[in-house]
Amino acid sequence: MRRRASLVLLALAVFFAALSPLLRWYAFPRLAKVPPGQYQEVVMEAKPATLLDYSTLRAERVERLTIVQTLKGNVEESEKIERGTGRDVVVWDSLSHVQGPDGAMVSQIPERYIFDAHSQAPVHAPGETVDGTPVRRDGIQFKWPFLTERRDYSYFDAQTRTAAPIHYRGVRAFRGLDVYYFEQTIPWTKVPFPKKMPIPGIDASTLEKTTGTTRWYTTRRMFWVDPATGAPVNGEEIHREELRGGTLLGGRDRVTAFAGHVKMRPDYVDHTVELVKSQRPLILLLTSWLPRTFLALGGGLLALSLLLEARARPRTLAAGAETAPAPL
Amino acid sequence: MRALTAAAIGLAAATALVLIVTAVGTPAGETSPEPLLTTVPGPKK
Repeated sequence: MRRRASLVLLALAVFFAALSPLLRWYAFPRLAKVPPGQYQEVVMEAKPATLLDYSTLRAERVERLTIVQTLKGNVEESEKIERGTGRDVVVWDSLSHVQGPDGAMVSQIPERYIFDAHSQAPVHAPGETVDGTPVRRDGIQFKWPFLTERRDYSYFDAQTRTAAPIHYRGVRAFRGLDVYYFEQTIPWTKVPFPKKMPIPGIDASTLEKTTGTTRWYTTRRMFWVDPATGAPVNGEEIHREELRGGTLLGGRDRVTAFAGHVKMRPDYVDHTVELVKSQRPLILLLTSWLPRTFLALGGGLLALSLLLEARARPRTLAAGAETAPAPL
Repeated sequence: MRALTAAAIGLAAATALVLIVTAVGTPAGETSPEPLLTTVPGPKK
């Protein structure tokens, strides 16, 4: 009876001991993925900001500038790309709608970001665009991978349409979470005009060619990222845009088109932190809590199994000796 | 021999469980009917 029990315990010990690494290194990378149908909006504000009045072409100080960024998972497109690539893919259609203090649109930039649902690495497929122009992303955007590492990442900048390093700067405490702080600086770079701008009758796509005026941009981008989910819980940008040269400026060398410190609206910070806090336990359950518990359980059961086996063995041997035939 | 069989059963059960769970995966869901926003939303609840 004891031998049978020790064998059952041994089977259970191996079951739990094997489940521990299988869960962490086989199941987790396959189960943890960004859902393809996610919908999320975030509101960011620069208070105050400097904004170009396009009717006078003079920079003015305004009370606030608001950026509404929506991310919408396109399930039909992701399934189409999955059939061609054989990977779990997420397609995010996004829109950055920039609005002045009077509620009027300042610019709108649509994007399509296609990435691997598990690793968040960009996937290249037709339709990958920024403001209607095809791009090829070499870095992450919007979200870091699950189990974010303490290292620099390549982060795609939608204005310059290139990827550049975003540097890991250490651990920070943020609203009760230990998060990783990342920072990226984009130096002054000439960038295209957004196709949707508040200048009636002007074709933004030919503005530079017809006027000789160019648009320049620099930013310092900061993210506070929860390392378990890879989700930024806060983001800020110190952002500057200028128009330089050409006939549009009436002989001036440059004018500020926008300058401000853009921060997430506090209610969206609260919402994001709560969302991340609700998702974190699922990741930690699969990567840490369950594997460790199963490993300990496997060890405990193995010890119990060996103990029972050791107790059963002398009796068996003794019983065997009693029944053994006497030597001749 | 019995111990080896018991260990093999435990290993096979763990592998089968993990394979089944990962094969089932997670549901794809649907594209949200919500639009890409062009107005500033009110306070987030």
